[in-house]
Amino acid sequence: MNLTRYGENGVRIKFGDAINLEIHEEVRRCYFFLKALHLPDIIDITPAFTACLIHFDTRKTSFTKLAEMLSERELDMASAAVAEPAVHEISVRYGGVHGLDMSFVSAHCGLTEDEVVTIHAAELYTVFTVGFIPGFPYLGVLDRRLNTPRLETPRVRVPKGSVGIAQRQTGIYPFQSPGGWRIIGQTETSLFDAKKEPYSLMQIGDKVRFIKE
Amino acid sequence: MIEIVRPAMYTIVVDQGRYGQCAIGVPPSAALDRFASAASNWLTGNDASSPALEVIGSGLVLRFNVDTACAITGAKVKAFLDDREVEPWTTFRVSKGGTLKVVEVLEGFRYYVSFSGIMVVDEVMGSCATNLECGFGGYRGRALAAGDRIELTEIGLADIRIVPQKYIPGMHPPHTLRVVEGPEAHYFSEDSLKAMFQKHFQKSYTVSNMSNRAGIRLVGEPLIFRKGMEKSIISEGVMPGTIQIPGDGQPIIILYERTVGGYTRVAIVIRADQDLLAHLKPSDSVIFEMVSMDEAERLWLEQTKKLSHVNAL
Repeated sequence: MNLTRYGENGVRIKFGDAINLEIHEEVRRCYFFLKALHLPDIIDITPAFTACLIHFDTRKTSFTKLAEMLSERELDMASAAVAEPAVHEISVRYGGVHGLDMSFVSAHCGLTEDEVVTIHAAELYTVFTVGFIPGFPYLGVLDRRLNTPRLETPRVRVPKGSVGIAQRQTGIYPFQSPGGWRIIGQTETSLFDAKKEPYSLMQIGDKVRFIKE
Repeated sequence: MIEIVRPAMYTIVVDQGRYGQCAIGVPPSAALDRFASAASNWLTGNDASSPALEVIGSGLVLRFNVDTACAITGAKVKAFLDDREVEPWTTFRVSKGGTLKVVEVLEGFRYYVSFSGIMVVDEVMGSCATNLECGFGGYRGRALAAGDRIELTEIGLADIRIVPQKYIPGMHPPHTLRVVEGPEAHYFSEDSLKAMFQKHFQKSYTVSNMSNRAGIRLVGEPLIFRKGMEKSIISEGVMPGTIQIPGDGQPIIILYERTVGGYTRVAIVIRADQDLLAHLKPSDSVIFEMVSMDEAERLWLEQTKKLSHVNAL
């Protein structure tokens, strides 16, 4: 655990430098541990692949105080009981009009479209983080045979429900939004509902399997 | 009730922001000039965290069918209530049937309009701020259009208040943004860091018209990555005011619509200068200046005086 300051009101807790499940599990534990403390000094927490970013209230605490507390509780954090991750099965219509980039991906990877689908749907993925837009799960780790670069110029509009891949990751667009991932399929599962809890279908650490429709 | 006769270039409902949901990717969507938004609410007798309208451009026309009070803050505007010119940063009374027109924006970019009373808009996850990208919060999750009507409840006739001149910031370009070092500052060559941030050496940047509520894009001398340094990072949390540097070396300042990012973070605009980000308009010049964390904290403490004056702390 490495603590550094991020601007005036942020603490960055870093657990490593690589995308893997061991480092990510430490991030996940840290997040759920801190969330359960309901500290009024903490305004928000953003857990991601290798780090948790804490946004703190400078009227109630300071970087020094918070860093001290976090260091003291490092062992509690590592041994804290956290909820088991949920497993989600997501039905996908692959290729054709549902997967705008399927032919590119297939050509780029030297695989048939059926092989792309089989490989994509074989893995049990982990939600490494949820973000850039609400409810968007960054899922890993994608089989290296499907490693495909992002679009050089992102699309202005990616349709809601699009399933995309980018390098060793896959993800689902909860809203129509701009995006640069290669789209291989489409799901009708709703990932985000601003009106009712839990707002996001997925949270950090959850597991996801894609089922070919 | 207030009717939007003309919405100017863009009018949305904002407040002090939606917090506590970054872990599921929900950004704050806060008012970009938080002092101005809080001040307009103070002037109209509301809590600082109440919703306000955030507007870009002249041409806003509102019609009132209630007696209330109103205030305009933020960018300096020329505005009329019927035939009478109204002072910005000052409470003014409005009678039923009155029409408010903003005819010109003289300095700055975004202005804020509040009414005495609570606007009946959508509250989502504890905030009325509009998340335009995902279509929730505020007025049906979208920008206001001609013909929209906003109900007001708990209308009070607020006392006439004035925000003291000393608290009203200048917004005239060129803008100077003070920054502290970001997590990936060491990814860049010393010469290019000096050319971007060091006083007396720094080159100016121009605000691109590709800027929006998610980020301000700047064009100028590109930052140079050190040899062998990656041009992106494993995606991680970002805070408002973070200056990201994508592969082409041109800075993007993150505002209140993103929670994670995969670009390098060279610096962070200090909190005391973040409200100014609301007033960077396309083609404005911007220079940066690196300051110490102690200096950033001292400047924030100064800023809190004006925030507490309008009950925003």
